[in-house]
Amino acid sequence: MTLGWILLSILIGVCALGVVFARSPISSAISLLVCFMGVAILYLALRAEFVAAVQVLVYAGGIMVLYLFGIMLVDNDVLRLTRQVHYQAWPVFVLVLVLFLWMGHKLYHSDYTAQPLTVAAATAPVSPSGESSRSANAPPATGESTNPQKVAGVLYGDFLYPFEAASVLLLVAVVGAVFLAKKEV
Amino acid sequence: MSTAAFVMLGFLLFCLGLFGVMARRNFIVVLLSIELIFAGAGINFIAFSALWHNMAGQVFTIFLIAIAAGEAAIGLGLLIALYRLKHTANVDEARELKG
Repeated sequence: MTLGWILLSILIGVCALGVVFARSPISSAISLLVCFMGVAILYLALRAEFVAAVQVLVYAGGIMVLYLFGIMLVDNDVLRLTRQVHYQAWPVFVLVLVLFLWMGHKLYHSDYTAQPLTVAAATAPVSPSGESSRSANAPPATGESTNPQKVAGVLYGDFLYPFEAASVLLLVAVVGAVFLAKKEV
Repeated sequence: MSTAAFVMLGFLLFCLGLFGVMARRNFIVVLLSIELIFAGAGINFIAFSALWHNMAGQVFTIFLIAIAAGEAAIGLGLLIALYRLKHTANVDEARELKG
């Protein structure tokens, strides 16, 4: 079990490195595809089955195909002749390394167990923002409700207005993309 | 695997994406690095959702995927526009805010 986690993490990390350091954009995109597959397996193992399915369908199936179309639409010579690395790469590398070590040290030594107890205690008596109305909106607990049912209960209960805002965001994004890519603006 | 390991993995993806955004010149690779940052945030959401047994993290990951889809559409529109105007994919060429 632990070996599987380690292998999955190594797969995700190596593919992420491949995204950043690959020479051709096609290699970057394929590497990112494998990385997203690994992340989807991670979601599946963390009992987020619906999100894992959405990750594979929308990310790996939709967004990556969009990126591949974008790469194909741009002339290959232009991509190959583009200088790969910025002149500020080394300072950025040092900066990101320092950030990673410092913040990673903090994250590693944080306490991840104290919080859920306080949340569980806080949800019982009064209704703090999210949790209680979720349990009110959730389907009645007749046995074990599946993961999509739970996600839908929260998504269309507590987060109905953000859901509508996301649809408006996607509409604006589509109109903006058409406007930007049009021949004559 | 503990929550700390998931958070560290998400932070690793964030750092790699940050490096890619700032150090690469190719516009497509910059966009892909932004997707890496999104993936790191998603791993964080799912890890804490599993830790606290709270579905809000999974719902926010779905919102994250929707936002990433919008970002991909706008970014590729910008790429096509940049390629049409300057015949390049180098982000440093896009320094004038006019056609």
